[in-house]
Amino acid sequence: MRRLVLFLALTIALLGAAAAFDWWIDPFGQVWKPDVLTAAREQHCLVSEELIGSRYWSFKRDVFFHRPTRAFVVGSSRVLKMSGGPRFSNLGYPGSGPETILRLFESLPAKPTQTVLLGVEGFWFNSRYTLPATDLSAYKVIEYLLARSTFTHAVNFAQNSTVLRHRWRKVDFHGQCVLERFNESITWRLDGSRVWGWEIDPAKYPKFHGGAFTGNLETWRNGYFADWTSLDASRVRALEQALRIAQSRHWTVIGFPPPEPPHMLHVLETDPRLAQQWNAYLHLMPQLFRRYGFTWANTVDGAKLGCVRADFPDLFHSDARCSRRLVHRLQAAIDNRRENLREIG
Amino acid sequence: MLFNSFPFLLAFLPVVAVAYFALPHHRLRLVLVVGASYYFYAYAEWWFPALMAGSTAISYTTGRLLERSPRKAVLAAGIVGCLGLLAYFKYAAFAGGYALDFVHVVTGRSLPHFRTVLNGIVLPIGISFYTFEGISYMVDVYRGTLRAERDLLRYAFFISFFPHLIAGPIVRYGILQPQLTVKHRFDADRVRSGLLLFTLGLAKKVLLADGIAAYVDRYLSSPGELGFVTAWSAAVGFGFQIYFDFSAYSDMALGLARIFGIELPWNFDRPYRSASPTEFWRRWHVTLSTWLRDYLYIPLGGNRKGEARRNLNLFLTMALGGLWHGAALNFAAWGTYHGVLLAGTHEARERGLRLPRPLAVAVTFVLVVLGWVLFRMRTVDGIGSLYAGMFGLHGFGGGIPGHLLLYIVISFALVFGLPEEWRWPVERWRVVWVAAAAVLFAVAVSSVYTAHPFIYFRF
Repeated sequence: MRRLVLFLALTIALLGAAAAFDWWIDPFGQVWKPDVLTAAREQHCLVSEELIGSRYWSFKRDVFFHRPTRAFVVGSSRVLKMSGGPRFSNLGYPGSGPETILRLFESLPAKPTQTVLLGVEGFWFNSRYTLPATDLSAYKVIEYLLARSTFTHAVNFAQNSTVLRHRWRKVDFHGQCVLERFNESITWRLDGSRVWGWEIDPAKYPKFHGGAFTGNLETWRNGYFADWTSLDASRVRALEQALRIAQSRHWTVIGFPPPEPPHMLHVLETDPRLAQQWNAYLHLMPQLFRRYGFTWANTVDGAKLGCVRADFPDLFHSDARCSRRLVHRLQAAIDNRRENLREIG
Repeated sequence: MLFNSFPFLLAFLPVVAVAYFALPHHRLRLVLVVGASYYFYAYAEWWFPALMAGSTAISYTTGRLLERSPRKAVLAAGIVGCLGLLAYFKYAAFAGGYALDFVHVVTGRSLPHFRTVLNGIVLPIGISFYTFEGISYMVDVYRGTLRAERDLLRYAFFISFFPHLIAGPIVRYGILQPQLTVKHRFDADRVRSGLLLFTLGLAKKVLLADGIAAYVDRYLSSPGELGFVTAWSAAVGFGFQIYFDFSAYSDMALGLARIFGIELPWNFDRPYRSASPTEFWRRWHVTLSTWLRDYLYIPLGGNRKGEARRNLNLFLTMALGGLWHGAALNFAAWGTYHGVLLAGTHEARERGLRLPRPLAVAVTFVLVVLGWVLFRMRTVDGIGSLYAGMFGLHGFGGGIPGHLLLYIVISFALVFGLPEEWRWPVERWRVVWVAAAAVLFAVAVSSVYTAHPFIYFRF
């Protein structure tokens, strides 16, 4: 009996110790760390991407509930530069889609009523576009904490003694307080909007370039547009369900396509592999939003917003300047409906 | 559910084992294990248990009928019933595909609807194993070597017991029946012994078989590019991969069953030490080879009707054994190849041809590895390319696959230096060895996150 107990106890102790070590080091950013956000709020700091990891869902919900949110934007990584006043939250995140938006709407309280800016991407309706896991189940987290590969990477990370002693540290990054581990190349504000390292220190983090259209859809924009043959009906249904929820809660929703730099808009409108689906998407969205009593603002042409090519560093995401113009345009759309958008600020 | 998965290791096994010994009554324990086994099976597909229940009902009812009236027609009906399920789920797409090709050639009609239906048939894991178990039971009752089981619960336990459900060993009811009539008290030594054997199997699977698989899969994905050394390394590597993979599963099955007080028959005994193909099949997947011998080869006439008939029986038995592994021509070719090897061994022995044992072991190993090419590569192109590489037709360059060779050296050392794991005296291990096994178990458990499924799950 003693040897059986020894076997079981030692196994449990070893796995437990490894899991605790992996939880502390968290080399792949899979563990949700709410105390980082508490500390960031207290000290008015940005939070580095590595501390949020892949837990965007938890982060964005934390943003929503820790602010007196009355208006928010949802969408892909292309809405992440949009920000507003103290009652505005940015709940967009990389890898979102109609399903995640539906789930987010379901999970948010019906009251107080909200004004929602909903950035809808064309590529969401390409069935080949898959949504990465940004909300891990408890089982997935346990699996991650017990995995040998996690432990191996955690040991490598732990060679940096700072990480071993503290799960994060506070640094001064050109006068900006940041909570981080190794680098601050991407950070998050506590309203949910994203800050690129080059916006704070372009010498340390050079502004990125690239993203030009080479004709290869497998590599262009992460392959999001590859093999796009029709509008995915299940995604359209999910978006409709989300709109239905918003309607039932008397929320105000403004749908919009995130702006495209002029050259890329031309590609989307004319490339024979994309044009039909792209135009079908732009044709369907106003009808869909109107069906539920909402507005669709056509903001797809960045040039019409006053954005120039330089406002799209990777020819995909718009920068803060262009995003401000986008917010003003959406505010105007709401004003046209005689809605009051004081919440956006 | 896989043995090498977190749901099994962290939830299913601890819960079922604790509940098993917590239940005071023997029949309640049987109910628990049968229920748990059906849940274990349903984890793959919700409807799989219905199929297993159907197969169980057929063989159980046939057994009862045979007890009253041991007629061949009753036996045949039972066998056809069980084999019918296997034939539909495993071979309909294979045979139907060829039939449709034939129709297409003759009539020019491609009949896409039928092809879609055939391609939609899902192979239920484990069906090959429990079908053979049911058949052996019915035949044994018919032969009068086994009394029919009247207790449906015990019979359901025999078919569904989760340690051997998915990939064997193929158990005969005569072995299990006496163990199901007694209540197994909690015995810490036996539970520990089962856990240690399970640990050895799990470690062999996730650390050795999966480690080798990473390199073998990479090389064999482009067999046309393999030079002499790499081609042989990949083929030998696969030989060790499949051996460690399958024997690991068997070790784990034996260990798990032992935890519950059940001893299952062993399946492997260092087959690469064999000095002839005949000996190889006495050491490799023994519960299948003895099943084929007792329920196919001997009924076909075995060696009682002359050499030519014996050789024919060997080809047939092994070809069907090959097809049992998978509904594809390469498996039939692999089985037939082994039939030829077995017939050749008999012929050589009758002519007094003998090799010194070390040389015979080496020759047997090479012959078996050449056979694995047929097993592993599913297409004629792939088989041809790998053989071409192994015979130097792609040149002798192409670099040395260092990591794979290291695995192969370790594998040889293990195979020739130590006995098969189920022979290790784990029940007598002292504290230091038990502690070392706990460390090994923790490492193995942490490795299941990236583990491959067992190769024999497909069969």
